[in-house]
Amino acid sequence: MNLDNLSQDECQRYARQIGPGVLTPEGQRRLKQSSVLVTRAGGMGGPAALALVMAGVGRVVIAHGGKLISPDLNRQVLGCEQALEKPRAPQFADYLRSMNRHVEVEAIDHEPDDEQSRQLAATVDVIVSCPPTFQERLRLNRAAVDAVIPLVDAAQWGMSGTLIVVAPGRTACLRCVYPEDPPFEELFPVLGAISSAIGSLAALETIKILSGVGKPLYGHLWMIDGYQGRSSSITLERNPKCPCCGNVGVRHPRETLRG
Amino acid sequence: MNVRVVFSGRNYHWGSSLPEQIALSDSTTVDEAIRVLESGLPDGQRLPGSCLLAVSGVHLGTIARHPSRELQDGDELLLIAPVAGG
Repeated sequence: MNLDNLSQDECQRYARQIGPGVLTPEGQRRLKQSSVLVTRAGGMGGPAALALVMAGVGRVVIAHGGKLISPDLNRQVLGCEQALEKPRAPQFADYLRSMNRHVEVEAIDHEPDDEQSRQLAATVDVIVSCPPTFQERLRLNRAAVDAVIPLVDAAQWGMSGTLIVVAPGRTACLRCVYPEDPPFEELFPVLGAISSAIGSLAALETIKILSGVGKPLYGHLWMIDGYQGRSSSITLERNPKCPCCGNVGVRHPRETLRG
Repeated sequence: MNVRVVFSGRNYHWGSSLPEQIALSDSTTVDEAIRVLESGLPDGQRLPGSCLLAVSGVHLGTIARHPSRELQDGDELLLIAPVAGG
C-alpha cells in the first residue's frame, strides 16, 4: 500500500477502512490532506463530525454557539451530563480530539455570519451544513457556491431527514430547490436516532467526495422517512436562473482537481 | 388512471390522512391532483406552498412554483415538506 504520508500509527488506525469496497490507500491519503467545516455540530453535525474525525479527515472545523442544555442530550452525541451549561463548541472539540490524535480539530463558538462563512469556505474542501434554520443553510450554500466547493446539507424533523449534496455549477444548489425560504419552527420535534443516522450519512457523502471513492449523491435529494419506514430519492433540477448559482459556470469542485 | 401518493418531511403524520393512491381521469395535472388531495385534509387545511414536488423521482419544483405537468398512469406523486432542524 502506498501510504507514504501516513505514520505507522495511522496505518494501524485506519486498517479496517482501507481495502476492497472501502477506501483506497490514495483515498485515505486524500482524507488526511482535506479540511471540512461542520456547522452546527449538534444532532446531525455532531455525529457527522465524529465520523469524519474517526475516518481521518485531516482538519475538521466545527461551529456551534451557545451552552449545552438538557434537551440537547436526546441527540447531541458530542455532549454529556458533565458538559451541561458549558459552551458547546469547546466541549465538542475536546471530545473529537479525544477520538483521534491525528486530526486537527478547530472550534468556533458561534454561528458564522455571511463574511465569516465565505472566509471559512475558502479554507476548506467541503461544507457540511446542519443548522436548524433555512437562513443559515442558505448562507452556507451561498458560501459553498462562491468558493465552488461541495455542500452536504443534512436536515431533519421528527423521525425523518433529508440529504442534499451540491456540486456548485454542476448540480442544483439549495436555492434552486427552495426558491423561497420555507417556514421554520424553533422547537422542532426530533428523535436522536434519526439525527445520528442522517449525520452519519452526511459524513459518508463527505468521505466519498474527499477520497474519490464511491459515487457521491450529487444532484439528488435523499429523503429518509423513519416514521413511515421508507426512503425516496429525487433527481433535482438546477434552475438556470437561480440567483445563487445561476452564474456559476461548469467548474469542477476543487477536490476533484487535487492529486 | 391511478397515481401513487407519498407525503413526507415536516408534519409527515399528515400523510396518514391522505390516500396512498388516487384514481384520476386521464390528463389530470399535478395541480388538479393536489386539489384532490387537499379536499381530504381536515378543516380546510392546505398543503404548504414550500412543499417540494416530484413526479416519479423527478423534481418538479414546489407547490407554490412549478411548471404545469400532466400525470400518467402509474406515476408516483411525491410531496416533501421541507425540513431544516439541526
